[in-house]
Amino acid sequence: MERRQTYFWRVFATGVCFTLFGVGGLILGVLVFPILLLLPGDPERRRARMRGLVQRALRLFVRVMRGVRVISYEFRGSERLGRAGQLIIANHPTLVDVVFIVAFTPAPCCVVKAAMFQNPFTRGVVRAAGYISNSPTDEMIHGAVAALHAGDSLVMFPEGTRTRPGQPLQFARGTASIAVHAADVLTPVYVRCEPLLLPKFVPWYRVPPRRPHYIFEVGDDIDLAAYRRLQTPKASRLLNDWLSGHFAARLGATGVYNANSVD
Amino acid sequence: MQTKDEILEQIKASLGELFELDPARITLAARLNEDLEIDSIDAVDLLDGLRRQTGKKVSAEDFRSVRTVGDLVEAIYKLVQA
Repeated sequence: MERRQTYFWRVFATGVCFTLFGVGGLILGVLVFPILLLLPGDPERRRARMRGLVQRALRLFVRVMRGVRVISYEFRGSERLGRAGQLIIANHPTLVDVVFIVAFTPAPCCVVKAAMFQNPFTRGVVRAAGYISNSPTDEMIHGAVAALHAGDSLVMFPEGTRTRPGQPLQFARGTASIAVHAADVLTPVYVRCEPLLLPKFVPWYRVPPRRPHYIFEVGDDIDLAAYRRLQTPKASRLLNDWLSGHFAARLGATGVYNANSVD
Repeated sequence: MQTKDEILEQIKASLGELFELDPARITLAARLNEDLEIDSIDAVDLLDGLRRQTGKKVSAEDFRSVRTVGDLVEAIYKLVQA
């Protein structure tokens, strides 16, 4: 009986979180950012301020999600995120992975789905923060390279979209190409969520039977020196193959975390 | 002014070097994606290279319809003519 109650609570609280995210995005995009734009400072200072604000808002949001017991999480090694010219790459099992990674990285830039630039709840935020659209490809690559050269830390999901449950990880080569061209540091973040919350093709109200537990683990930096000695097309292909294999090995064959989870 | 043949030779040389392709495979009819395994990510690098070499404004739009090496020759020919 109690299980049933907590289940319905989580459905309800998940809906509340979605609403909060949308309303929060609207308020930031429509009210707060325009006010920030009026403050003095050059465009770069302003953008940094906005990114800082987005980070703090998302940090609050993940605390709320934990507070209302929709999820629990651990984030290991976040002190190694946010270095200049750092490309941060993560696998993408669930809808809100980016929320956590941005929340735990000091004022990062981020490559996000093109649709977020159209969605009224998110477009104000992604524009003001100077995030990069994942389409068209050439503009994404130029934008990402420019951001890294300017010393930003940049968050990318090489899968390009959420993992298809039960299928092997598939990394698109754009991320590897950007890494070879422009990353000072390449740092992996392994994302595990058990049971899976909001994977691809599942509507939001179908929450899993137990409360999902997230583990974010920042891995060791990946040495790019060997790849930089090769021609770019070959280097990015080799790096992409290596990264796909590396993440698959760290996450287990299915990309799903299998240890006993907490609830 | 470069002729189309010269452009083809240059393409053969640079694709051959960048992608370790046998120049014999780089014919006018060869399809970049299916036959030579050159994808949209490579295309970004190739266009950047072309910008540096020609010093011209190269718009990705002009190259969207390029499918074969022959299309590429035509597109570059138009570019250097302009």
